[in-house]
Amino acid sequence: MIEIIETAPLNAVHDLGRLGTRCYGIGRSGAMDRVALAAGNAMLGNDANAAGIEVQLFPIVLRFTVDTMVAVTGADAGALLDGVPVPAFWAMPVKAGQELELVSPADGMRSYVTVAGGIDVPVVLGSRTTALRDAFGGFQGRALKAGDMLPIGAAPALAAREAAGFGAASPWHAVTRPACGDAAPDDITLRVVPAGEYEQYDEPSQAALWAQPWTVTTQSNRQGYRLQGDKALVRQPLEMRSHGIVPGVVQVPPSGQPIIQLSDGNSAGGYPKIGVVIDADLWRVAQAAPGRRLRFVPCTPALAREAERELAHYLDTLRRQSAWVRRAA
Amino acid sequence: MSIVTLERARVTPCGGSALLLEAEGDLTLPTQMGIWNIADEIRDWPGVLDLQPGMNNLLVVLDPVEGDADATAARILARWQDIPRTRTLGRLIEVDVVYGGEGGMDMQELCDIVKLTPAEVAARHAAPEYVIFAPGVSPGFGYLFGLDQRLFCPRRQVPVMRPAGGGVAIGGAQSNLGAPIRPGAATMNPTGWYVIGRATNPPVPFDLDYDPPNRVSLGDRIRFRIERLDA
Repeated sequence: MIEIIETAPLNAVHDLGRLGTRCYGIGRSGAMDRVALAAGNAMLGNDANAAGIEVQLFPIVLRFTVDTMVAVTGADAGALLDGVPVPAFWAMPVKAGQELELVSPADGMRSYVTVAGGIDVPVVLGSRTTALRDAFGGFQGRALKAGDMLPIGAAPALAAREAAGFGAASPWHAVTRPACGDAAPDDITLRVVPAGEYEQYDEPSQAALWAQPWTVTTQSNRQGYRLQGDKALVRQPLEMRSHGIVPGVVQVPPSGQPIIQLSDGNSAGGYPKIGVVIDADLWRVAQAAPGRRLRFVPCTPALAREAERELAHYLDTLRRQSAWVRRAA
Repeated sequence: MSIVTLERARVTPCGGSALLLEAEGDLTLPTQMGIWNIADEIRDWPGVLDLQPGMNNLLVVLDPVEGDADATAARILARWQDIPRTRTLGRLIEVDVVYGGEGGMDMQELCDIVKLTPAEVAARHAAPEYVIFAPGVSPGFGYLFGLDQRLFCPRRQVPVMRPAGGGVAIGGAQSNLGAPIRPGAATMNPTGWYVIGRATNPPVPFDLDYDPPNRVSLGDRIRFRIERLDA
């Protein structure tokens, strides 16, 4: 078991989300930074879709009741194992009774704790992810709180060749940053496929979508991020019929300031969509704190598939290399 | 209020691995029956991970690596041309509603926009038989077709927070009915719609104790009855 000793609100159990439930009005949900979760699972030799803990508000303190192996991925939250610093993107053996604390990230927004065998909460509608708004899935359909005991799935006994564990390159370093001509080094660049209503925006708005930075506002959470840019996006006012939407959709309410719908966004909506951030770049959005600047780069479905393949290659490599540095205990 | 209406059906990308089929013409029952029928077929196509009928449209979610968006888009459009547009409707569900008042806090605002009195809005809203056309933004009764044109009302400039649980609302050319709140679920939701009433005892449309969990189906019908009109 993993015992939650202390936690800030809104931290919960997630896997990669639900598929096949849109007929009920239930979208994908799942981890915001799917790459960080998948990387943790790859390092531990878990099923790629094993559930872990998403930490988006800090601190959190966990205690392990058994000897096992864990990975800490995503934002570097200054993790401490019994007070000893743990680097980012790190997998290590832990002993029963040891405590892991995630203090607070200096950069980035969300950290993930994965464990060998995964968090073994019941599968509801095909997934272990927590549907917070509808109160099902995950651990008792809710965010974690102190005193919770999370069951761990069966896994072969693992250890690292080095007792201190082993690290991995974070995707910020290992995966190509989408190229955007005049983006500042700190800007987060995102590939966007123009969507159905793109052509309805006037030319200055189309140009502004690609040319100007979009700042993440404080009204940003797992449902979506509201952005702020100098020039609002203008389109003839036309009402849309409601349609299914996916995480990454860049909707433009009449205010002209866009919203990126994310993991817990509604499964359908009716605001016009100017574009969609590709799946392979949503992990970058998940780590963009309020105040960060986003830059949109035009993309096509074919280029989006290439980006998916690059991510898959990063995770496959991680899985192979990690298998080599782990050994049976 | 003008609504986007296409002369010809189209399929557009929704990111790298999803497609949106939008039907031609107005929102009608036969067109929507075509949407339900094509959804049932596409579900079994290779590379399709998920599907969601909307109002006059269909979202198709593809595998991000295996799915071929361009080829699938062409295939969807070709099949749409001759998909049968008939289907049998489902059962009738009757729902009592208190219009206006605390539970329908946006009634006056809507009245000001559509230039009708609350009594007129309630009467016009409760007159037709609605059909569940598409799943909604969360488990529930989905999007309802049949709204009186006089009640069409553009969505809000900026979404607001509104109480969950049995809300009866209007957004654009559509209406909906909120499911009862599940224990532990959110009690407030963001919406751009106008909440004009509240069902006193809405049936449960989604129950995880059943498999499948949906207790209502696309094509089921809903009739609202005016229980009371509050100021």
